[in-house]
Amino acid sequence: MGSSGSHAEDRPPATPQTPQPLGLAGILPPKTEEKGDGKGATEKVDWLNLPCPVPFEEIQREALMSLKPELFEGLRFDFTKALNQRFALSHSVFMGSMEVPSQTSDVIKVPSAHYEFGANFLDPKLMLVGRVLTDGRLNARVKCDLTDNLTLKINAQLTNEPHFSQGMFNFDYKGKDYRTQFQIGNNAFYGANYIQSVSPHLSLGSEIFWLGHQRKSGIGFAARYNTDKMVATAQVASTGVLALSYVQKVSEKVSLASDFMYNHMTRDVTSSFGYDYILRQCRLRGKLDSNGVVAAFLEERLNMGVNMILSAEIDHAKKDYKFGFGMTVGE
Amino acid sequence: MSSSSSRRGSLPRSGEGEGVLARMSSSISQSPVVARGKAAAAEAGTVAKKLLRSTGKAAWIAGTTFLVLVVPLIIEMDREQQLNELEMQQSTLLGTPPSYAAAAPAK
Repeated sequence: MGSSGSHAEDRPPATPQTPQPLGLAGILPPKTEEKGDGKGATEKVDWLNLPCPVPFEEIQREALMSLKPELFEGLRFDFTKALNQRFALSHSVFMGSMEVPSQTSDVIKVPSAHYEFGANFLDPKLMLVGRVLTDGRLNARVKCDLTDNLTLKINAQLTNEPHFSQGMFNFDYKGKDYRTQFQIGNNAFYGANYIQSVSPHLSLGSEIFWLGHQRKSGIGFAARYNTDKMVATAQVASTGVLALSYVQKVSEKVSLASDFMYNHMTRDVTSSFGYDYILRQCRLRGKLDSNGVVAAFLEERLNMGVNMILSAEIDHAKKDYKFGFGMTVGE
Repeated sequence: MSSSSSRRGSLPRSGEGEGVLARMSSSISQSPVVARGKAAAAEAGTVAKKLLRSTGKAAWIAGTTFLVLVVPLIIEMDREQQLNELEMQQSTLLGTPPSYAAAAPAK
């Protein structure tokens, strides 16, 4: 309509121009999926490229790491010497009380001490770990990558006492957005599990197992929802156990975790809350339980390669107090 | 008659059975109000003892829980802060600006 000179300015642009990405964003390929923060309608989810989920037994990994440190009572000393880039020997001494499970609610502690000698071989494709203890136990673990996606794991524990040895073979297959595992153990134990990503944040899985000698079988389901800042998991099994957990990453160094477990057979309900502080010089984990148990676990780096460990557990209900001290030397 | 009240004796007067004072004090000390008051005081005593014991237990539980859960945290956070201050001091001494100070104005 107007003069041809102003025609171009009068016409509004057909599509809004997106600004040129700056710096590194211009070099990297554009993201096909974005981790939404509640405004999921604007982000596009690439349903064919979902991430691979964590293995089924590690579904509650964050909660277990924060809430269940290896508390001990007594003295613990570990020394690891790397002879090679791949091979390392370890010596470990433990002196203290070990708790013997008792039928009554009394706590029976037996003082015991042992020395453990171990060897580790670590290859990108093969991992061998062996430990021998002075009380006659032998632990062995093998992890072998047969192909890119298939992994074989062997776990064995041999003891002096008859009928107490156990061994387990696991075959893991990792697919594009699923994982599956098949287990064979002694005592005619067969198990299988499967976990699949159904969305960028949610993965669902299930497992079945069959115990030959006792003719018991069970099935279980699990779900895991995780974002950058939190992980929520739920697990139900036909053995009557329900386990829920929630871990929130409050900042780079701090995360809080909580856990709920209900056992239908024994009508046992347990809930626990904990914090996990990962600072530069130390890692401090504290936990408060609904059974009246308060526990703390501190690993402090004194020097390059020297770590000091302090463990404390107070059971107010049973009036049981366990304190431990340890050192870990070696890279 | 008026002299009987001035006498603080506890001897009962044979003439009138018990004296006026003794009758008054016994009527007061055996009245239902006093009996109930005594029972209440005894109960209050047991309740106070139980309260003291349970407060003591609660204080013990709270104190030991605080000692195990909170005190290591305070100590470690204090050390972390000292380490941060030391690093900042060293970085200003050596002349290298800390990385977050360069990124902060760019935001």
